[in-house]
Amino acid sequence: MQTKRRIVITGLGTINAVANNIPDFVSALLAGVCGIGPLDLFDTDGFRCHNGGQIKKFNPHNHIPQHFPLKRMSRADMLSFAATLEALTDAGLYPLPQQLAEDAGVVIGGGSGGLREAESFYRDLLNKNGRHVRFSRLSTIYCASSADRIASNLNLSGPKATFMTACSAGGTALGYARDLIQNGQAKMVIAGGVEPMCRITYAAFNALKSLDPEVCHPFDQNRAGLSLGEAAAILILEPLEAALARGAKIHGEILGYGVTCDSFHMTAPDKNASGAIRSMQAALRDSCLVSEDVDYINAHGTATPVNDAMETRAIKEVFGKRAYSIPVSSTKAMTAHTLGAAGALEGIVSVLALEHGFIPPTISFREPDPACDLDYVTDCARRAELRVVLSNSFAFGGNNTTVIFGQYDRIGIRHG
Amino acid sequence: MDNSKHIEKAQKIVVTGIGMVTPLGIGKEEFGRRIFAGDCAVAPIQSFDASAFSSHCGAEVTDFQPRNFISVKNIRRMDRISQLTAAAARLALEDAGITVNPDNRDRIGIIMGTSFGATDITVQFAGTLINEGPAFVNPILVPNTVMNAAAGHTSIELGFRGVNTTITHFAVSAETAIAYAVSEIRRGAADFILTGGVDILSKFYYEALTRFHALSPLDENIEESRPFDRNRNGMVAGEGCGIICIESMESALVRGRKPYCEIKGFGQGSSPATPTGWPENPEGVKKTISRALTNAGITPQEIGAISAAANGGIILDRIEAEAYAEVFAENKSGPWITALKGALGESFSSGGVRTCALALSCAKGALPPTCGLYTPLAQLKFVRRREEKIEINNALLAGISFGGTYVYLVLGKCPDA
Repeated sequence: MQTKRRIVITGLGTINAVANNIPDFVSALLAGVCGIGPLDLFDTDGFRCHNGGQIKKFNPHNHIPQHFPLKRMSRADMLSFAATLEALTDAGLYPLPQQLAEDAGVVIGGGSGGLREAESFYRDLLNKNGRHVRFSRLSTIYCASSADRIASNLNLSGPKATFMTACSAGGTALGYARDLIQNGQAKMVIAGGVEPMCRITYAAFNALKSLDPEVCHPFDQNRAGLSLGEAAAILILEPLEAALARGAKIHGEILGYGVTCDSFHMTAPDKNASGAIRSMQAALRDSCLVSEDVDYINAHGTATPVNDAMETRAIKEVFGKRAYSIPVSSTKAMTAHTLGAAGALEGIVSVLALEHGFIPPTISFREPDPACDLDYVTDCARRAELRVVLSNSFAFGGNNTTVIFGQYDRIGIRHG
Repeated sequence: MDNSKHIEKAQKIVVTGIGMVTPLGIGKEEFGRRIFAGDCAVAPIQSFDASAFSSHCGAEVTDFQPRNFISVKNIRRMDRISQLTAAAARLALEDAGITVNPDNRDRIGIIMGTSFGATDITVQFAGTLINEGPAFVNPILVPNTVMNAAAGHTSIELGFRGVNTTITHFAVSAETAIAYAVSEIRRGAADFILTGGVDILSKFYYEALTRFHALSPLDENIEESRPFDRNRNGMVAGEGCGIICIESMESALVRGRKPYCEIKGFGQGSSPATPTGWPENPEGVKKTISRALTNAGITPQEIGAISAAANGGIILDRIEAEAYAEVFAENKSGPWITALKGALGESFSSGGVRTCALALSCAKGALPPTCGLYTPLAQLKFVRRREEKIEINNALLAGISFGGTYVYLVLGKCPDA
């Protein structure tokens, strides 16, 4: 039987609530910086909560060269394109060689897309009763627009796709991007997720009473909900042999992923954790790994009362007694929950943890919960040599995605 | 059994179920009868008042009764797009002869494509937020504003728990979803996947299309969808949901199901374009077709039929026709081409309904005619006026989107069918 091609990560780029680039992100993760604070992107009057993980001082001109016109780009488009440029530069692929662009694709886990810009459009539409409103403003409202802008700006001819499964989209995008290369549809894929902070999304979580009025505390006894954030997170995926041939720096490898469904409730996770258990098991199977191989779990850990207890239960079910000795952390306490981008952002966290040998902490943790009794790496980052990291993303609609990353040169006994 | 053959067989992906909720009827029987007879669904809009707009016609799903397909406890939580999806998914599962049970539910999944999702619900939600404030918005609406709502509701209604995801990439959403589903079965991620596309015709979306100057009539002429016609004057808005059930050939054989067709491969590609604009030339389309043929292991000469993406749009139809003229220049007789959006309008995620139709074509040995095609813009073998009876060994399903994204699927009659 033909063995699957190994797909590695050669470039990383991000803008999020704690950092505007990868080196700063590593420092922030090591230091346990909290990016959640009062929002000033929009008026939070009338909401239960006024905090969020907003990107600090984002000036697109600092990230995007002048010859790329910013006109008709939403905040999401700009953030994702800026992160793409950082990731490509990191991979040593910027400017992109024309021959590679022919077979290079882009896969984005989308979220609110241009909903931030759409709000002002809707306001005009409602108030002016549809007259004199320029509908061309709608051209970037859908989340597929970000992938289109990346591909068009970089002249890509490879596959292009956008996932929209709320909070698991970024993780699914990474798995799918790996498949595209393994299927021979692309030789390189720009994969990741983007989520802009916008008032309509904030109002949705506010209405569902999912927001912590202050700052989220994942796995804490008194956790009261999530904090919403925004981010762009982009990874460059290539076949291992291509990366080795051009002498690229290899951050890590995508070993496998799993996607499942709770089939339980649209917004509440299944307390029995069946979907989460099966998504971790599917990812392990796809990676040709067993539960003993996992060194660190980057949890979904939203800090909603139900999610964290459910996820803890799922981890115990999958890993048995070993669950208590595997470090687990939720970096959402630092970056906030970045919805469509979260799976990709935490993919980057996982890869940085592997590469730099540390486990980022679950900050803001104060009081243990009997229902959450694993090693959550509270207080501060922990040094650790890691070979395999598992990252969970669970979403509305009961969509679960687990992605597993590894150190490419220390895997090989079972894999490949 | 010889092991190498075993692997080869397992990699063949076949369509064993079809579920449709379309402007040309609900279910494959009614749809098949009407599409092959050359029925056209374009008619004056009934579901809202379109008198203020510059266009007045659409292809609407008019006779859909959610209660016939969906349990009462779930109906009230679902918006229209989820209802169409749950209904079509039920029909596809039944058609494939699959009963969801605790033994198979974790191996049955759904991968849907939707171009615009429930934009009408988002606009409603935003309207309350803007006019009345955050305290007045309805939390029940929230899950339906996310594009994965249709797949999520459907999995709850039908009780399957395998791979579940939603792709939204404008007019290739459904084709991308189907290509992903094929790759998921090949990867062994599921045994059965329901996959296709869904979009609905809401007043907001209709107004947006008229304001984008996308809808027929763009001139003083008749309002009509005329794919590949010299006098085409814009598309007609449509809606609908088409879902296929796919599995490996081996699984179909074990279950004793006769597949409609095989999905032999797919190709995906892109080229630069402005937001909501079209690429300047057919190069991206050509490259994507070549990727699809390579993936399926066939040559252009072997393609006998194409279900086109053409919708009566000025640029799209020209680019698509140019691409076929060039790709099949060597193929003397050329493939037969049909464009179903003449009958069904443009629902953006039409790839679901069109793939169902092409699967029916493979099984029947006939291509449906192109409605609205009077004076072809190019010397290609268009199916016009009446169905064309041909054996479909290899056919292309075209997905071409504004923004410059392409997906081509390769379908064909099953060798031993």
